[in-house]
Amino acid sequence: MFDIKPDKNEILRYMGHSNQQVEDGIYNLIDECIEEIKSVIKFRYTYKIFDVQLGIRDDVSCIELLGTNVVFKGNDIYEHLRDCRKCAVMAVTLGIEVDKLIRTMQSEDMLKAFVLDSCATEFIEKYCDVVENEIRVMAQRERCGINFRFSPGYGDFPIETQRDIERILETIKRIGLTVTASSIMLPRKSVTAVIGFTKDVTLMPGKSSCDICSLRNECLFRKGGTTCARGRVYKV
Amino acid sequence: MRVAEYIKCNRLYFDGGMGTMLQKAGLETGGLPEVYNIEHPDVVLDIHREYVKAGADVITANTFQASELKISSSGYTVEEIITAGVDLAKKSGAKYTAIDIGPLGQLMEPMGTMTFDEAYDVFKRQIVAGYKAGADIVLLETMSDLLEVKAAVLAVRENTDLPVFVTMTFQDDGRTFVGCDPKSAAITLSGLKVDALGVNCSLGPVELMSVIDELIKYSRVPVMVQPNAGLPSIENGNTVYTITADEFSDCMVKIAESGAAILGGCCGTTPEFISKMKRKTVDVPFILPEYERVTAVSSGTNTVIMDNGISVIGERINPTGKKKLKEKLREQDFGYLVGEALQQQKAGADILDVNCGLPEIDEAKTLANAVKEIQAAVNTPLQLDSSDRTAIEAGIRKYNGKPIINSVNGKQESMDDVFPIAQKYGAVVIGLCLDEGGIPETAEGRYKIAERIVKEAEKYDIPKEDIIIDCLVLTASAQQSLVIETINAIKLVKSRLGVKTVLGVSNVSFGLPARPILNSVFLSASFGAGLDSAIINPMSEEVMQSVRAFKVINNQDRDAVEYIENYSGYKTVSGSVNKNEGSGDVKAADVSGGDLKSMIIDGRKELVGTKTREMLKNTDPVSIIDGEFIPALDVVGERYEKGTVFLPQLIQSAEAVKSGFEVIKETMPKNSSGSDGSGKGKIVLATVEGDIHDIGKNIVRMLLENYGYDVIDLGKDVPIDKVVEAAVSNNVKLVGLSALMTTTVKNMKDTITALRSAGSNAKVVVGGAVLNEEYVEFVGADYYGRDARATVKVANEIFNNA
Repeated sequence: MFDIKPDKNEILRYMGHSNQQVEDGIYNLIDECIEEIKSVIKFRYTYKIFDVQLGIRDDVSCIELLGTNVVFKGNDIYEHLRDCRKCAVMAVTLGIEVDKLIRTMQSEDMLKAFVLDSCATEFIEKYCDVVENEIRVMAQRERCGINFRFSPGYGDFPIETQRDIERILETIKRIGLTVTASSIMLPRKSVTAVIGFTKDVTLMPGKSSCDICSLRNECLFRKGGTTCARGRVYKV
Repeated sequence: MRVAEYIKCNRLYFDGGMGTMLQKAGLETGGLPEVYNIEHPDVVLDIHREYVKAGADVITANTFQASELKISSSGYTVEEIITAGVDLAKKSGAKYTAIDIGPLGQLMEPMGTMTFDEAYDVFKRQIVAGYKAGADIVLLETMSDLLEVKAAVLAVRENTDLPVFVTMTFQDDGRTFVGCDPKSAAITLSGLKVDALGVNCSLGPVELMSVIDELIKYSRVPVMVQPNAGLPSIENGNTVYTITADEFSDCMVKIAESGAAILGGCCGTTPEFISKMKRKTVDVPFILPEYERVTAVSSGTNTVIMDNGISVIGERINPTGKKKLKEKLREQDFGYLVGEALQQQKAGADILDVNCGLPEIDEAKTLANAVKEIQAAVNTPLQLDSSDRTAIEAGIRKYNGKPIINSVNGKQESMDDVFPIAQKYGAVVIGLCLDEGGIPETAEGRYKIAERIVKEAEKYDIPKEDIIIDCLVLTASAQQSLVIETINAIKLVKSRLGVKTVLGVSNVSFGLPARPILNSVFLSASFGAGLDSAIINPMSEEVMQSVRAFKVINNQDRDAVEYIENYSGYKTVSGSVNKNEGSGDVKAADVSGGDLKSMIIDGRKELVGTKTREMLKNTDPVSIIDGEFIPALDVVGERYEKGTVFLPQLIQSAEAVKSGFEVIKETMPKNSSGSDGSGKGKIVLATVEGDIHDIGKNIVRMLLENYGYDVIDLGKDVPIDKVVEAAVSNNVKLVGLSALMTTTVKNMKDTITALRSAGSNAKVVVGGAVLNEEYVEFVGADYYGRDARATVKVANEIFNNA
């Protein structure tokens, strides 16, 4: 359906690699795991486009999603959408079989389970790019550009927003994506994100997302001189 | 006429979509439609009345997500919303009203956090409210998970006398989101004796045809179909449906002709759709098609039809004579059972026998937990094996699918015990040819018992295709002349009763040498007599050779694909038979030169086991652990800290040590505590309540075990009191907790607080993606375990093993 080309260097980075020597065995294992993950992925996605306006809740500025009872709280999402009149809210999942494969592999071969997990992370990022591209086309039709994917839990955008997104996108019914009471998404390899439509067709100039990341001080990627996928995507 | 009778001779029409109509009437996106029952009753009533006018016999109350999980934020109770909803449906003038119940929106354990009992209670509250409000039908719809459905169906059966209709939602790959296929749904739900089963939502009537055919083929009850108005597609960022009422109703004519007995619409359908559908289908003659009378067992995602050839039932999950399995059952460590299940599935088992009978443990609880863990890992159906009826019931209640019960016998007491369970939950039952008088010597005698079992089952509406007869094997070394009677009995049972048969073959060779030879020849002879399934060890190559060969002979393994795959490299080597060249075992000679430490450092898992075995000949285990394993791991650990190796390499070395430990455990006498005797200290590990990300914790566990610690791993989503109980009762000095979400860090703090107030003196080490040094103080822990290596260092410090 979509020709996804996972990037092995990205997979290595998810495995905590910075500049260590990597034996062929690990590369072969990555190849094997890419195929196994691919064979169980059930990629599903959904998104909706909402008009947004700036609002105030409890004396704090927020983003109102018009036609819904949902508001996005937090400074960072406010900054993300303050110049946008519309945004797309998206949800993407690789399906429950991926979870099952990673889970059962742990009793057999922990190394392989870990590599499978990292491969799945790379796949979900790549599939998010696919959905983002579709949203970009939607935006272009309205002579807008888009900014980047901003997810609940990122910066001070409350993780609990996952539950609102589940409701407004009906993710349980549409793509089988559930959210637990602790705001954990299941299947695990799933992403929700908010993309703003910008007036400018080019990317909105933004700051490196590491600056707003709550994990910036302990981030192993940063210590190794790199960034995670988000940091890379968001760097303009 | 009550609806359960009505559907036996009439086509029944349901209504169509509600959500889209409410949105047109002003419901905002993400709002709770059910609140309209109270705040805008006229809007809901108008929609109901339009559907009645369109010809719907059943009006579905606006209660789809009126569970306490979903509507707690609305300010209304479940009972208020449901009572109002059912009242409106009744007021519409419909012939019948249904309380509508959708999925809970949470995945079941162990993939998710919802337990079977919690699901049951949530459903029960909705169902009882609908029952009291006067609904005629319980409709469970848009379901994905058969186990969740089972909880709801049991809640209906055990609290009301209402009929229950179930529709599942299949995606474009023919499966639900959790992987359930139509065949497994039809077989499992028929077993649970729902009043109607079928499909709704997700796809349009065109795309659903193959799913509907499959349901009709295997369903023992009327089939219900409520498609969407075509495939949903995203237009301008909104979901729209693609076919017209005319196209929809034309397709529904075909669906009616194929034998679907209950028709309606789902998302995107309107009163126009229902009206046209009814007009066009009302003259289609009503038929309830004959279903396939097959012997079928299902897991939640896979069905084995025993009429299609011989089946292998894996026997290895049975503690009789298995020291390690006994030990794991006593520790309630189900990871080992899951491993056994996966291996047997890989080796070619179609069905897995699960027996947890040990005198010193709570068998019912253990069997239920084993079923829960195993069914989440494998897709082979399970066979619940126990002589204790409470254990059978505990296991089957939480089983996802239609299992085999092993077993009933010709004694009246046994049949009185087991058949009611099979009747209630739906199961295939193995009937043993023995009774108060023991095992009859003659084939004729055994046949008589088989006949009695089949007749008794009929009294419970258990058809003969749900009975498998075990003609029982006697030991050739003790009763040689009777061995052939088993073969004769199989022939009698097959020809006269027409039921399926099963055998556990290995008894035949007891007390004789070269048992695999006798077993496999006896098995072949039995297959020749018509045996349908064998309870055997699928890891035994000789026995599987007979199975694979026979599958070629009876034309089951088409084009001998499986046979060729397994034996293309087949060679006979100087009297011994090898399946394939190049097995994983490494000869001792290959490792004699190398040293164990560098094998571990290099992560040579395949060499470490053999080398350890060799060293054990003249080195004691503790010296190997302390002198080889740990120093090697320290080397890798230090390199990891310095950043010269990365995590996969650390895991690789840990896996290597793990295989070394397995060799040591095999050869060492157990001490009383069941540990491997290295005795470095006990540690409790858990991923805190609410959190289900546990791969990191599992890596920590592996490394700690490598260093000789006894890890009591409580798993993920662990309730606070369970952590406290384990820490206190084992009097551990160290507890490790992990949390990956900011939302669950609070549970970590609460767990630690509870530990302290319970008087535990254990030190607490915490880890997980969102944690850092600062959190340690916040949650009240003693140490921060940044990664597996750091956690080992903490443990070494606490237990003075540094």
